[in-house]
Amino acid sequence: MSGALTWVRQDMRRVIAALVGIVLAVLMLPPLWILLQDSVTTTNAIGDVTGFTAGHFAKLFTDKDALRSIWNSLVFAGGSTVLSLVAGGVLAWLVERTNAPFKILAYLATIVSLGTPYILHVIAWLFLLGKVGPLNDIYRSVTGGTDSLFNVNSMAGMILIEGFLWSPLVFLLLGSTFRAANADMEEAARMSGATVLQTLRRVSLPLAMPAILALALFVFIRAIGGFEVPALVGMPGRIYVLTTDVYEATIVVPPDLGYAAAFSVVMVLIVAVLLYFYSRLSKNAEKYHSVTGKGFRPRPFDLGKGRWIAGAMIVANFCVVLLLPMITLLWMALLPFLRSFSLAALPMLSLKNFRTVFTAPGYVELATNSLLVAAAAATFIMAITALAGWIAARRGPGGWLLDQLATLSLVFPGICLGVAVMEVYLRVPLPIYGSLWIIAIAYVIRFMPYGMRYVYSGVLQLHHELEEAAGVAGASSLTTLRRIVAPLLSPAIVAGWLFIFLVANKELAIAVLLASPGSQVIAVSIFDQWVNGQGGELAAFGLIWTVLMTAIACLFFVQGRRGGTDVFGN
Amino acid sequence: MLTVHDLTKIYANRFDTQAGGVREASFDLPDGTFFTLLGPSGCGKTTTLRCVAGLERPDQGVIAVGDRVLFDASQRIAVPLNERGIGMVFQSYAIWPHMTVFENIAFPLRVAKGRTPPREAIERDVEQALSTVGLSGYGDRPATRLSGGQQQRVALARAIVHRPKLLLLDEPLSNLDAALREEMRIELRRLQQQIGVTTIYVTHDQSEALAMSDRIAVMEKGRIVQMGDPREIYFRPANVFVASFIGAANLLTGVCAEAAAPGSEGAVRLPDGATFRCLFPAGGTAGQAATVSVRPESIALVSEGALLRGEVTATSFLGGSVRYDVQVGDTVVRVVGGAERMVASGTPVGMSFEASSAVVVG
Repeated sequence: MSGALTWVRQDMRRVIAALVGIVLAVLMLPPLWILLQDSVTTTNAIGDVTGFTAGHFAKLFTDKDALRSIWNSLVFAGGSTVLSLVAGGVLAWLVERTNAPFKILAYLATIVSLGTPYILHVIAWLFLLGKVGPLNDIYRSVTGGTDSLFNVNSMAGMILIEGFLWSPLVFLLLGSTFRAANADMEEAARMSGATVLQTLRRVSLPLAMPAILALALFVFIRAIGGFEVPALVGMPGRIYVLTTDVYEATIVVPPDLGYAAAFSVVMVLIVAVLLYFYSRLSKNAEKYHSVTGKGFRPRPFDLGKGRWIAGAMIVANFCVVLLLPMITLLWMALLPFLRSFSLAALPMLSLKNFRTVFTAPGYVELATNSLLVAAAAATFIMAITALAGWIAARRGPGGWLLDQLATLSLVFPGICLGVAVMEVYLRVPLPIYGSLWIIAIAYVIRFMPYGMRYVYSGVLQLHHELEEAAGVAGASSLTTLRRIVAPLLSPAIVAGWLFIFLVANKELAIAVLLASPGSQVIAVSIFDQWVNGQGGELAAFGLIWTVLMTAIACLFFVQGRRGGTDVFGN
Repeated sequence: MLTVHDLTKIYANRFDTQAGGVREASFDLPDGTFFTLLGPSGCGKTTTLRCVAGLERPDQGVIAVGDRVLFDASQRIAVPLNERGIGMVFQSYAIWPHMTVFENIAFPLRVAKGRTPPREAIERDVEQALSTVGLSGYGDRPATRLSGGQQQRVALARAIVHRPKLLLLDEPLSNLDAALREEMRIELRRLQQQIGVTTIYVTHDQSEALAMSDRIAVMEKGRIVQMGDPREIYFRPANVFVASFIGAANLLTGVCAEAAAPGSEGAVRLPDGATFRCLFPAGGTAGQAATVSVRPESIALVSEGALLRGEVTATSFLGGSVRYDVQVGDTVVRVVGGAERMVASGTPVGMSFEASSAVVVG
């Protein structure tokens, strides 16, 4: 008896690994399985498989519209990747490595955009660039004509808006690359006689290239799966991409789930291939790690008079990414109905929409729902990944398998995961479908890889001898986990929790197919209101929400700086 | 000729009252001098080097190579670092990993102001630099496939390939293991003499400084506290800090028993009454407090004519020599003696030294 007990105690890690593995498998595997199954089978009305078919794929690859969607997806993702890399990358270099002024504005824009649902940005931009928006307004008043300068519901409009959506993330990630770069490398080039531009072109850029390529691939993957911009900007202009095709096939009556699943499988395959290259690129980036010196505080490049041009670029970015969208939302919130910027509209300004948000039933409940679901998902993820990440990083029993399971959902674009989760829980005989639970489960599956990354890299930063010393001192592996690993890991866990909480409240794509009238979350509700033309109320509500989320984003930022974990672990 | 005059660069420091940086540093180096800035971390030696390089902008002072003024705060002259024509080896070597060895070394030639030299000239100069550092034939290697010692040599070749007037070395040996460090120390010195370039070397390792330098400046808290050739620094430390930082000096505190003119011999009496003759570099008047520095290897254990008496408390056999700790009153005197005989712990011993090897340092 005591022998068996000893065995359990010694092999506590095995038991933990097995339990965590089962939980992960139950969560992560069914969505993938159901997508594959749906894409090659026919089903009857209640979802039973009635036979095998290649018809869904055949339709997909012979249908002109479907092929155009694939092409559109690639153009859309490629264009917005390039735009966000240029905008975010230049900004990151200016802020981290030069003496340009107004740097604080870049951080401000980034923190606020971390907390703002993507869909709010998209709506603001739609208005700014839209038919009645100020851009075309000014154009018409200059030319005196009635035509528009720019049609926002076009591929160009989609790329423009998506590109600026992603540029804050690029700024953050490349910023940390530039910050971590060995400043000696650049100083050595300057000492060899190179000018600032020569140094940038021949040393700084080539050194950052692996990181830039990896990031480009990452943004591309996210843009392929992007839903907000294709749905709000593309669909009204009859420009379809893969994600909107999946969405359309799912919401038509009766839903063509086989076709949606086939589309999803194609996207998952594309993403899986890209992810493979992404992981190879990231590994390659480590090749450039070099002997580091004493870390003398790196001296930023002196741009001379050029620093004011650089400052102007930072201010311009601030206006584009933060100021203009926020002013637009405020304008929309203060007016009873949507109209262009004009002095004539000033007398109509009122706080009525804000009053409605606080008094009308539904808004408070909606906010509570969203916060609860996001918090529950973040908590569950961090609890599971704290164990899984620790075992994987320490190459414990089954560590490789746990890592694969936990990061499996990276291959799902949000909308595809939505379809898959819906399908899975339609068939589960539990009252999950149609409740908030299903959104929480989708969040858990979707954001599990992020939690894994935070914990994994957190564990790698702990010297393994810290744990071995606890073992030598007589602690069991459970005690070591509780007394040594958990406290030391807590900054990474907190940062991961905050990050998941933030992105869960931002993304529309996962929840859009899962929310039902009684169980809404913020992003979906904003989407519905926009489609129904309730612009004013949604802007007022969105602004209040943004303030709340920005406060949490500040926490996250402070935690990232303090905990030593890189902001954004992916 | 390198002239540095009144160089000051002060960092505001939020954490304690002692601000970092360098204060009023001045030195003139004749061409071909191997000059070492020596001191503990935070003493301002690296700041001084980075000011000369142009990586930091001094608050005041003048830096000139020959008649060419590189920096003059009062005239608002500050030549940009890429136009100073200085070679530098960084502590981390800063070998660019995306270039081959050849491209690393050719870089200063390629970015030179004015016309890029023809390909043959670049190849010739790089090849020459490579052979100077003993890496002929390594040109095609990717820079990532080099050992620490080889990276060090490439960094050196890159620093000298454009024949700079001045070579700056920032703790270049600190990332090498002990055996390699010894070898590179000799190698560096040989190279410097071969090409005859004026060199400023920054280190906290006193044995490196003593072995390699023509001149040494010892720095403490941002100031140069003593400048001189290695023997002077070692045997005639200017103050208690230099005496204890360079080698393990014995510091004996007593009072001046016999007045001495500056630079001449006088006598010091310890609290227990022992009196011995020693050198007063700054002179001394009878009755003033005096701290005397005596090197462990200058002290002999004697049976007759002892200046000090004590008891051996610890003995360590070091192979070539034996180190003793001798308790004298309430201080421990360290003595290094020959290895041919050993004195056991607990033995009472007498000690003696020449007046010229005992220096009053404070």
